[in-house]
Amino acid sequence: MEEILTHATAEPSDKWEVQVRKGCLELAILAVLWSGRLYGLEILRKLADSSALIVPEGTVYPLLSRLKAEGLLTSEWVEADAGHPRKYYKLTAIGRRRAAQMARFWSTFSANLDRLLAPLRKEER
Amino acid sequence: MADTEIAQRKIKKYLQDVAAALRGLPAEQVRDIVEELRSHIVEKTNEDMTLADVDSVLAGLGSPQDLASMYLADDLQTRALVSRSPVLVLRSLFRWASLSFASFFVLLGSVVGYFMAASFVGCALLKPIHPHTAGLWTIPDATEPYSYSLRLGFDSVPPGSTDVLGWWIVPIGLAVGFGLFFLTARFGLWSIRRFRRASPMAVYQKQVRDSR
Repeated sequence: MEEILTHATAEPSDKWEVQVRKGCLELAILAVLWSGRLYGLEILRKLADSSALIVPEGTVYPLLSRLKAEGLLTSEWVEADAGHPRKYYKLTAIGRRRAAQMARFWSTFSANLDRLLAPLRKEER
Repeated sequence: MADTEIAQRKIKKYLQDVAAALRGLPAEQVRDIVEELRSHIVEKTNEDMTLADVDSVLAGLGSPQDLASMYLADDLQTRALVSRSPVLVLRSLFRWASLSFASFFVLLGSVVGYFMAASFVGCALLKPIHPHTAGLWTIPDATEPYSYSLRLGFDSVPPGSTDVLGWWIVPIGLAVGFGLFFLTARFGLWSIRRFRRASPMAVYQKQVRDSR
């Protein structure tokens, strides 16, 4: 019985977390590219290091390809010293505008939500 | 040495499977995707390619089918949203139809919508060619007094029928037909955007589960 209960409560919040992460992934990718071009694995490493976003690698490459199709990114192949070529991504002018716009929205949104959550945090302590 | 060879073969097989699952995309785009994935795999596994390394890197990317399906769903949607062509809208919806119940009905509705739109436009265009048989007719019916029938005019009209609109079918048929085209496209694209928002979520959740 207890097992059923914990399972029932674990599922929806788990799903919610996944949705939040997924929703933020696009912004996170645009953000790590803000200061210059990077290739896929570098993007993945930066995301893992700096944002604790658990990013399944298989979702990032298709997403990069979509952002490119939408004109937010461009890509170019660069022959590396490592011996294999790497595909670098860079923000376009549209991509920069979009990223700035998303960042502005995020700041307002998270500040408002934080205010709303303040009473919950006090009680938890 | 033998291990490295097995590892190489595994990578080759994985990339071949991805390429096969991506069929439908332009060849150049497939090559680009495969080369990017190869670059990722090679760099992550280092030079001393142990089997365990390769297995974990490939597992991190997900199954070739899951991976390809995310590329394909994104690609079709982007093209459908940009071009609004009925073929792309239907193809994109068709892909979603296998994934969710709602999208199956959206596909069904869109097929009916496009079919009716084509019928009205076809009827308007054929009226000058079949002036006495094409148009919107009322036809005597066994159970009801009569029933409406949109006729393209290839068959003769049953006795006792009347042509309701006459030559008015030309402007009205064109207006209704193109209106339906427009509404069906709007409905299809609206649905695609909604599916997309919820989109590779199913695949994504599966990958998060698998990567734990």
